Amino acid sequence: MHSIYQRLNSVSALLSTCLLVLLGSIALTTYVHETHPSGTLEISSTKVKLGRMRYQRRMVETAHVKFNYNADLTSLFHWNTKQVFLYLTAEYTNAQGTQNEAVFWDRIVRRKEDANIHIAGGNKYFLKDLTRSFKNATSVTYSMKYNVMPWIGPLTWGEAGRTEALPLPPAQNTV
Amino acid sequence: MNAELQRLLDGKIDFEGQKLATTIMNYIIIASTIIAFFAGWALQSLTVTFGIVGLSTLATGLIVGLPWPFFNKHPVPWLPASSKTKTS
Repeated sequence: MHSIYQRLNSVSALLSTCLLVLLGSIALTTYVHETHPSGTLEISSTKVKLGRMRYQRRMVETAHVKFNYNADLTSLFHWNTKQVFLYLTAEYTNAQGTQNEAVFWDRIVRRKEDANIHIAGGNKYFLKDLTRSFKNATSVTYSMKYNVMPWIGPLTWGEAGRTEALPLPPAQNTV
Repeated sequence: MNAELQRLLDGKIDFEGQKLATTIMNYIIIASTIIAFFAGWALQSLTVTFGIVGLSTLATGLIVGLPWPFFNKHPVPWLPASSKTKTS
């Protein structure tokens, strides 16, 4: 502590310890904040179309889903929330018995003001099966899930809205 | 001139001053960390938290870093110069 350089060195050493403790404490408060996100998800229409996807020769079935979603996710936003990733999944078992969970719509919510959500939307991404067909697949359960991304600390996942199992209609040939 | 520049850059303080500087540094940094955490939590803002930490760090650097006169109030008394002179 005798010279300027020594004293600035001590300050930065103590500061790094304090910052580490501070960051750890902030990360821990994530578990203290109570979150109660709620949402209702309704599927307004589903269609399965048989056709060719971009530049592919083989025929493939794609599901086209339209949905209404109303939710209040404001409680997910506290001091340590950077953004919330909201994604809509279709859960079903295909003809081969493989369990699938496919994301076909998503949205990034960046601000608390945008966390009151009222959407009528549809597919953002193609919903298709690896076997290229939904024939003999089970009914599909749709669920809206979220992933909270904090400034500091671990990611947390949850669900806000789910439908009962809904059957997919037979495929329509569009070619 | 060179010695004067060296003295300014070193900014040396006496032993009592060093003890005082350590104490001040500990108090300001630890207190500001605790205050920053609770103030930020109460106001739900990380900007507040890191603003407090940043500003108080700057203040600590200025208060503790520089050789202020109050760090030099207890100069070490040196023994008087010996009258004997070596001759060889």
